[in-house]
Amino acid sequence: MTKSEINEKLTAVFRDIFDNPKLEITSQTTANDVEGWDSIMHVNLIVAVETAFDVRFTTKDVKGLDTVGDLMDLIAKRVK
Amino acid sequence: MSFLSFPFAIFAGLGLLAFYFGPKGWRVGTLLALSYGFYLTWSVFYGAMLLLVTLGVYAAGRGIEAAGGEGRKRGLMILSVSLLVLLLLGFKSAGWIAREFFARADGFNPAGAILLPLGLSYYIFKMVGYLLDVYWEAMPAQRSFAAVALYGAFFPQIVSGPIERAENFFTQLQRLDAPDSEAFLIGLRRILFGLFKKIAIADTLAVVVQNAHAHPASFSPLELVVAAYCFAIELYMDFSGITDIAIGLGLLFGIRGPENFDLPYFTPNIQLFWRRLHMSLTSWLRDYLFTPLRMSLRRWGTAGLCLAIFINTTAIGLWHGLTWTFLIFGAMHGVFVIVSVLTMKQRNAFFQGRPPLAQMRGFVAPVIVFHLVVFSLIFFRADSFSSAAQYVAGLVPGRSGVSAWRFDTEMLGLPGRDLAWCAFGYLLCEAVTWAGKKPFWQRVFFRAPALLRRAVYTALIISVLLLFKGGLAFIYAQF
Repeated sequence: MTKSEINEKLTAVFRDIFDNPKLEITSQTTANDVEGWDSIMHVNLIVAVETAFDVRFTTKDVKGLDTVGDLMDLIAKRVK
Repeated sequence: MSFLSFPFAIFAGLGLLAFYFGPKGWRVGTLLALSYGFYLTWSVFYGAMLLLVTLGVYAAGRGIEAAGGEGRKRGLMILSVSLLVLLLLGFKSAGWIAREFFARADGFNPAGAILLPLGLSYYIFKMVGYLLDVYWEAMPAQRSFAAVALYGAFFPQIVSGPIERAENFFTQLQRLDAPDSEAFLIGLRRILFGLFKKIAIADTLAVVVQNAHAHPASFSPLELVVAAYCFAIELYMDFSGITDIAIGLGLLFGIRGPENFDLPYFTPNIQLFWRRLHMSLTSWLRDYLFTPLRMSLRRWGTAGLCLAIFINTTAIGLWHGLTWTFLIFGAMHGVFVIVSVLTMKQRNAFFQGRPPLAQMRGFVAPVIVFHLVVFSLIFFRADSFSSAAQYVAGLVPGRSGVSAWRFDTEMLGLPGRDLAWCAFGYLLCEAVTWAGKKPFWQRVFFRAPALLRRAVYTALIISVLLLFKGGLAFIYAQF
């Protein structure tokens, strides 16, 4: 899966989870930049990403995520 | 030795002299000696226990890092964290067991004889967080035993937190420097602000709360409502007051602790309330309890989310002590948060198409959230479930046999004028906190004539000195 494919698919997941069809994300985006991205939504997002990309994350993986870029790297690592 | 005592002022003063004028390489050692000195004046036995816990945590941290294979790492982490949690639960439940099973009708209650180790909840949470961070490889295990020992025992934070994260603390220790005069003044201002909150507001309101909770049946519904407001403000001013003192003291010794509050009573929803109250505890629980729990329950969908929220808020309640009233407080907030989270999308959609209502929501929502909190705090403050039930029953007009609108300040124990002053003082403190984060208002204050600023400080000092009643214990020191 290429970086742009991950980006495209991930954007769709974000728009769905945060209920915002115009939401744009970059690798520098953090939870502070997205309205409604709190600890509760964070795991909802992780679950949606797991389903969309057919991957499994551990708590340790999720703990290390500071930016959307970190999440993209993690997805790239897990996607076969 | 309380923070609000003459011996502590002497202790802190001498400590500052040793810290500033001692050799630079001794600063960590000086702080460690001061911290253990402070702890040992309170209890030598529990001081030894703190040292023993620290030794165990230090060894466990190094062991988790060095262990070969995930299984061994995990085993060591689970063993060490379980022992810490058991120690905490053991002490917290001792009081509960004594009260529930050994208290007698003649007033004998062995719970009173059980002394909780000072700062136990705070240092156990710090240590558990440290071990989990090492296990998750979020930070390396600390090589210096003195650093781990100081992390657990750091005297400004031991009484009532804030619960500082290990990585943040260790990073600051690496370049521990005596603060310059500006940072020193920030520390002193913060301490003064905390003293004002505690002595001028919290301790003044304490009498009203005490009277209302002692005999709720003899008060009118209006008086009970006012007393419930008073407790919400007392608790917050007390706790944020000691946090200001802790952060200010830390700054004097070159350590910046985490913030614990961000205008919690002005939040548009209950989730946000919990993100702005006792932030060092709630963010700790979010990272070390809620997220792992939610991750492991994520296949359960909404039921998993609800369960994770409920366990989390109940843990917040029971962290204060194993009592029925704290359990109800936590469970009540579990229900509030779950309902709020599950209906948020629909509520937002409803208000989106109705701009005038949405505008009103901006004002009304924080008022509703505040009242939910005030109501739950009746259980938080009550000595037992039955007295909380009596208090709540007293809120219903007509039940107490007195007029619903009676407002007898003599019964409450505080003149109406003083009540109004406390409310004004509380709002002023929040305004100062809010303005302190805005560069514009900071500039306005610091560009004001020095005479004006000194007048403000003098007024604060005078009110603290005049209202000082010998120092009631800080509420959060007992948790």
